[in-house]
Amino acid sequence: MITKLALNGLKRKQRDYIILFTGLIISIAVFYMFLTMSLNKEFITQNSVINNIQSVFLVGTVMLSVITFFYLFYTNSFLLSLRKKEFGLYELIGAKKFQIRRVFQIETMAITAISLVIGLTLGILLSLLVSWLLMNGLNVEFTQFKIIYLPAVFWTMIYFLLVSFITSSVHNMRLAKSSIIDLLRSEVQNDIVPEKPKSAVLQIFLGVLLLGIGYFALYFMEQLRFIGLFTAPVATTLGTYLLFVALLPVIVRKWKRNKTVNFKGINSFTSGQLSFRLSNLKWVLATIAMLIALSAGAIAGGFAFKNNAFTSIDEYWQYDTTLYNPGAAETELLNSIPLEEQLTFRFKLDDETMYFVREELVATPPLVKDWVTYDVMRPGSLPENLEIEDGYQIVPDTWMSALETVNPALFGTRNSHIVPLIEYERAGGEEISVMLARTNDFAAHMEKWQELARLQESTYTALFAGFDPETDSVATKYAQFETQYAIASGTFFMGFFLGLAFLTMMASILMFKILSGANNDIRRYDSLRKLGVRRRLLENSIHREILIVFLFPGVLGLLHVLVGMRMFSFIMDDPYYRLWVSLLIFLAIYGGYYFFTVHLYRKIVLPRQ
Amino acid sequence: MKSILQASKISKTYGMKGAATYTAIQDLSFSMNEGEFIGIMGPSGSGKTTLLNMVATLDPMTSGEISIDGVSISSMNEDQLSDFRSEKLGFIFQDFNLLENMTVFENISLPLSLQNTKLEKIQASVSQVSRLLGISDLTEKYPAELSGGQKQRTAIARALIHQPALLLADEPTGALDSRNAATLLETLADLNEDRKVSIMMVTHDPRSASYCSRLLFIKDGKLDRELRSRGSREEFHQEILTVLGDLDRRPVAGVRA
Repeated sequence: MITKLALNGLKRKQRDYIILFTGLIISIAVFYMFLTMSLNKEFITQNSVINNIQSVFLVGTVMLSVITFFYLFYTNSFLLSLRKKEFGLYELIGAKKFQIRRVFQIETMAITAISLVIGLTLGILLSLLVSWLLMNGLNVEFTQFKIIYLPAVFWTMIYFLLVSFITSSVHNMRLAKSSIIDLLRSEVQNDIVPEKPKSAVLQIFLGVLLLGIGYFALYFMEQLRFIGLFTAPVATTLGTYLLFVALLPVIVRKWKRNKTVNFKGINSFTSGQLSFRLSNLKWVLATIAMLIALSAGAIAGGFAFKNNAFTSIDEYWQYDTTLYNPGAAETELLNSIPLEEQLTFRFKLDDETMYFVREELVATPPLVKDWVTYDVMRPGSLPENLEIEDGYQIVPDTWMSALETVNPALFGTRNSHIVPLIEYERAGGEEISVMLARTNDFAAHMEKWQELARLQESTYTALFAGFDPETDSVATKYAQFETQYAIASGTFFMGFFLGLAFLTMMASILMFKILSGANNDIRRYDSLRKLGVRRRLLENSIHREILIVFLFPGVLGLLHVLVGMRMFSFIMDDPYYRLWVSLLIFLAIYGGYYFFTVHLYRKIVLPRQ
Repeated sequence: MKSILQASKISKTYGMKGAATYTAIQDLSFSMNEGEFIGIMGPSGSGKTTLLNMVATLDPMTSGEISIDGVSISSMNEDQLSDFRSEKLGFIFQDFNLLENMTVFENISLPLSLQNTKLEKIQASVSQVSRLLGISDLTEKYPAELSGGQKQRTAIARALIHQPALLLADEPTGALDSRNAATLLETLADLNEDRKVSIMMVTHDPRSASYCSRLLFIKDGKLDRELRSRGSREEFHQEILTVLGDLDRRPVAGVRA
């Protein structure tokens, strides 16, 4: 009987539940997707490129599970608060406490189970999408990849059922401790009159100071190292909370104090709503600002990694392709690419030494990077007499770089000697020709480089003993790019979906917080309607009010990201490269949540037309 | 004397055509002069609140015609009705309907803000009307900090500030204790007497009704009887009690269709 009653109660609060569980479902789907990407065993051993991606997804799984735990804990306490009055009523009519507790536990577990079914289905579709996107992006086949991977299904279920059992047990203990009167009265809550701030100035000052310190630590992370790593999150978080608690009420009060504006139309109502809402929500908003920073940071970080694969590869490699003993096929393909420069060199190698022709190198010196000044340049004049000590030839650094540029695959395997043509011709050993080519845009001709790499495979097998194209690779710009890009793509998807999951959870909480108060607001909007306020005016007020509630955490969160992205500068060339794309993605999702919240809120507080 | 309200043959039927319908008000006609204090009385379910809501333009009538201050409200659209309410009508409700998120000052000034009145004028009007109602010390407080009587005074101040043609009150003493109720009714009577505010009040309480100058008794959606105050308030009170007792004794003539 109690179970039946509880089920009816659940139906009545459907809307609140659906909002809360969108967050849970998205989290389950992403969790499953991450696990599938990182656990697929055959997939790992088959593909060397993928090996690197998997650890990335494992990190993502861990981060997601931590945040999900707190999200579930939070939402479960919401659920309890929604039902408290009803449970009190059951107790009043004679239901035993253990019966009510059982109902709550069963309910929570049932909701998790339903979410699991939907979430896993979505997760399978998500894995399909991401693996397809990765395959296309990396130009590889995932032959062994399983979309429906049972160990991943198993661990996802275990994790979510366990967490929901733990959280509902904790809240059940709270339920057991509260008296009937507490339960029955839980929904009667008076609006607290916003208190006059006493130490607001001090709090704001402290907040700004802490935020400044946090930003300073983020900005100079490279110099501060570990101190920065600890200071940045602590100071930024504290600063954010202080600012929300102290600054928000002051801003609204300042706004209200501008009487000409406040006493125009229903501005006084809008600002009144806001001052109550902001003082009720300040802690939640501060938390949301921090999590927005995390989620937008994850999206932007992943995206920056992907962009970095393109920018950093050009930093290290001046020539887009290095062809060993190029045949007719390679030459033909190369001719179809608009080249900026094309150079050819010869070298001979025996067991100990590689010989390069001095005349060739001096005539067409290749571009090298000076690792002291970071300038791209051609090496200067080559001294006439190059001394040789213990088999090592002493050459200037820039010329050493030039030799590495000319012969990246074998550089370091033997001593390199630059010798005059006459001497070169006298030397024994196999002669190999190398062709270097450069375009003005490496990324534009990716398919050609891949084709060239494939054509070179037979040459590698002939040249290098024991070379297996399936498992080995030769150090070339394209090969390095491929690996780097695979990790970057993995990080990109990981960051994107991690950010998406965070964002869904946070927006769900914000949306829920706003909508659960909407029932109290019905009366207010009804009063205004009776007083003769036009519907349009009411709608405008709703739009503005909710916009500001969304805006504050959004702006501060994004500011954190803008400063925080600099932190990545020690592993990335330009963490801000195309940052606007990820910010745009973030804004689109966040904006979508805003409009949806406005829509639902309007449906609750305004009568049907 | 100028007529402030004309209602002719107004009816209100709830429910869809064909399905079970319920007639709350049937072919009711009455008029009200400027400066009158009219009370609407009747047992629960008699249709008195429906009548007030139709006059308040909150509930559209099924048939008939109402004009207030010479303007017919039957053909207005929603926006026009909103504007009409904000300019011509003042409301007092049983549960005050103050906006808890705004100070007393903001609550009172809202009708003027809506008409985009200049700030100086708003401030002058609020201080005048709050002095009149004895709440000038409370203007910076929030409704949650006020007593029931103070809340209702605030509500009256808000209803009066824009000098409406007609003040509508729905059980204004319903949530007040007898002492506060008496003070409130005296205030309304004074406003009516001294400032010639036209008031229409719905009540089921004979003592409240005795403050009115004329009473309309509604029963089963129809005007059952009219009563005018001639002598003292106490005599009127006795008269009302007699009428009510009389109404109760008569058999019920149902109009359910």
